[in-house]
Amino acid sequence: MSTIRKILAIRAVREFLRIFLAVFAALVLGFLITLAVSKQPIEAYKAFLLGPVSRFNRFGDWIEESITLILLGLAVSLAFRAKQFSLGQDGQMLMGALVSGSIALFVPLPFLLRVPLALLAAMLVGFIWGYIPGYLKAHLDANEIVSTLMLNTIALKIYDYFLIFWIKPPGAGYNASDFFPVEGKLPTFLPALPFIADLQKRFADHTNITIMLYLMIIAIVVAFFLMFRTPFGYELRTVGANIKFARYGGIDTKKTIILVFAVSGIFAGLAGAHLAMGIHTKLIANITVGLGFEGIVVAIMARNNPLFVPIAGLAYGYLRAGADVMERASDVSREMVLVIQAIIILLVTAERILPMVQQVITARRQAAAGAAEMTEGENNVV
Amino acid sequence: MTALIEMRDIVKVYPNGVVANDRVNFSIERGEIHALVGENGAGKTTLMKILYGMEQPTSGQIFLDGKAQHFRSSHDAIAAGIGMVHQNFMLVPSFTVAENVVLGQEPTRRGFIEAKRATEITEQLAQQYGLRVEADAIVDSINVGMRQRVEILKTLYRGAQILILDEPTAVLTPQETQELFNAVHALVQQGKTVIFITHKLREVKEISDRVSVMRGGKMMGTLPTVEATREGLARMMVGRDVFLTVNKPPCKRGKRVMEVRDLSYITETGRTMLHKVSFNIYAGEILGIAGVEGNGQTELVEVLTGLRSAASGEARIGGKVVTNRTPREVRMASVAHIPEDRLTNGLALTASIDENLIVDRYFLPPYRKGLVIDYKQVESMGRELIKKFDIRTPTGKLPVNSLSGGNMQKVIVAREFSSSPELLIAAQPTRGIDVGATEFIRDQLVQKRTEGTAILLVSADLAEVMSLSDRIIVLYEGEITGVFPDASKVSEEEIGLYMLGLRRQTREEMEAYL
Ligand SMILES: Nc1ncnc2c1ncn2[C@@H]1O[C@H](COP(=O)(O)OP(=O)(O)O)[C@@H](O)[C@H]1O
Ligand SMILES: [Mg+2]
Repeated sequence: MSTIRKILAIRAVREFLRIFLAVFAALVLGFLITLAVSKQPIEAYKAFLLGPVSRFNRFGDWIEESITLILLGLAVSLAFRAKQFSLGQDGQMLMGALVSGSIALFVPLPFLLRVPLALLAAMLVGFIWGYIPGYLKAHLDANEIVSTLMLNTIALKIYDYFLIFWIKPPGAGYNASDFFPVEGKLPTFLPALPFIADLQKRFADHTNITIMLYLMIIAIVVAFFLMFRTPFGYELRTVGANIKFARYGGIDTKKTIILVFAVSGIFAGLAGAHLAMGIHTKLIANITVGLGFEGIVVAIMARNNPLFVPIAGLAYGYLRAGADVMERASDVSREMVLVIQAIIILLVTAERILPMVQQVITARRQAAAGAAEMTEGENNVV
Repeated sequence: MTALIEMRDIVKVYPNGVVANDRVNFSIERGEIHALVGENGAGKTTLMKILYGMEQPTSGQIFLDGKAQHFRSSHDAIAAGIGMVHQNFMLVPSFTVAENVVLGQEPTRRGFIEAKRATEITEQLAQQYGLRVEADAIVDSINVGMRQRVEILKTLYRGAQILILDEPTAVLTPQETQELFNAVHALVQQGKTVIFITHKLREVKEISDRVSVMRGGKMMGTLPTVEATREGLARMMVGRDVFLTVNKPPCKRGKRVMEVRDLSYITETGRTMLHKVSFNIYAGEILGIAGVEGNGQTELVEVLTGLRSAASGEARIGGKVVTNRTPREVRMASVAHIPEDRLTNGLALTASIDENLIVDRYFLPPYRKGLVIDYKQVESMGRELIKKFDIRTPTGKLPVNSLSGGNMQKVIVAREFSSSPELLIAAQPTRGIDVGATEFIRDQLVQKRTEGTAILLVSADLAEVMSLSDRIIVLYEGEITGVFPDASKVSEEEIGLYMLGLRRQTREEMEAYL
């Protein structure tokens, strides 16, 4: 047993280094671009690099966003591990936000009941919003990429419809709900204990880091156990490794596929609740904007392993937060920030694709392009 | 006279510490067919990869025509006229045969690829060496035999004078094997030299001029094929006496285990692959199914194991219907299955050995404890099976694709045998694996049968069916055309007549023995 732990430890270290190096390379490249486009490249880049930790509220932004990213990364990891390419996190998140937000706003229950109910409802609706494409894939052989993207659009329309026609207070100038009452908000992650009262107040005033932080940690542990310790996890991984073998061995592959989509949806639904009840504390239009597919980046960085998702989520969240600060605090235009961000994503994920590219080149060199091989590799995601 | 190729004191230590080649000396004469034999894991592929420049030797030298060579990559080896056809083909499935042949050295004019020239080149080469291919067919649509010929053409197109064929017959049917042998003879007649890796001793006798034997990374010796006996070679390979013939105690037939009645199977495209097949399988017997491949054996096995649905008819175990049930239900009815295609069905290559061993039991105690799988139990079961079935691996945590073919098959056999089934359906249980593992698996089959398991054996190797089975039925075009209640009292020739559809028994004749 201790040897396993040792190997795991070494593996974790290696994964950490791997992500770190990719990010580092991306940062260097980003700096070169900043040099080219900014009159004060040093300041601009400093804003980018140190921005997220330079102020309390920025630190908060980073952590809040990372929580979303990590939950989404878990959702994607579960699906991709089973080679089910669900892109439905955006829709699941929207539904999670809508349902939890509605409960937070309108269900007249005390805090201790309202918040858990809202969270559970968000997870349930995520489950359902994943179950649908899973069922379509398992029983009707519908391509999951198409169906999940369509369901994203449907979710967006449902969200907008309820927000505009039912939830928005009459006469409001723009499409948003009222702020949630205190019974429907997620409380700050630090308890109001006397000896940390100061710190607690600062966090509460300047950030939206809520108890979702703890739920996220639980979610990571749950996802890990689910994937590597339970029969369902075994089924999920076996379907991902070789679905024909899974079927031959007696695994109900249809049921597994449906459950994979649905369980993945739970995590995305929870991310939706985080957006509604933690970050914004109201329902707004385009509440998930820019986040829909970010879970994929995180999952790819983490090699679909829940244990590495938090590292990847924090690192990627930091880059995003830094880019935000740079945009606001320097002369680098939003477009350029996006370019830098894109390059970073490319580099970080390309690090996963690179071995495949190498394979192609060597294969071609041997005058034997290994295209057949490429479609069979363990983790060839995207 | 100096040898064409001389490999001297080759040592190869892989980064994981495996000594795959241990001071190996190997020499090849010009124009010979040289068989290289050895059990899986003996180091044959490694030695050839070194010759082909794909692996670098840890130490040792290679001489070509007496001149020392240093191949930094297979590029250099190809330039020196060495070509290799790998165990796993490396073709681009969406390209045509001709495109694959010329890939990397496409004939061009002013920078454009000349598709027509490629086709011409391919056809001309195919003609010259008697390697029948369809130049314009998409590789995805052609069978394994033709894919292999494409691979050979590819190396010839690159100017190979020395061809290394790594276990070329492992994937071929007997007819395709014969065709390959003819092509190899044609190659040698036209001045090429061929190194032929195999572990089928019959093939060694049939095709080679000389034979070299490897065992455990060492070269055990080289001798002219005429001086070699199958028994002698087997002993060199395995390091002890090997019994190539099966010894089995007389059959003690027990109760009926499975009853198959009027089973039919029709493909999605409407072809009838099984037509009203009826037979019984009894405890303690091996029922062999003989037949030329493609006469419904695959379908029969897959219908009986729940992987395909029957069109009509049924199979029962102890009165319980098992056709058109899920594979899990069939397994729970005490049926085990060694699948024909072990790489697609039988294993998850990237998963660990342990995880491959538990696919039929992870949800049962003692492996499942409450909500979780008890991986301590899994591990200890893995250890036990690895030991009992002699799977050559340091630990069950390694992925299956780190094992050799014979050991992969042992993983399947270990799983299926250890579930203590009442009925074991074994499809091609020894195809493409080495003599040691073959002997082991055959022994295990006979032992299980003697202990009272019912066994349905399907094999393309008629000699195997004949020697293992107690009773044989012949499948021809999806129908049973003959039944032989005592396998020891019938000749290969006679069964052959039934397999080819030249003779058939009437229903009445068969009735009593099915
Ligand atoms: N790339 C590799 N890395 C580490 N070990 C290897 C590698 N390839 C082969 N081996 C090991 O080297 C030994 C010889 O393998 P191989 O040359 O493939 O044998 P053969 O072709 O005779 O079956 C085996 O124990 C095998 O597991
Ligand atoms: Mg080999």
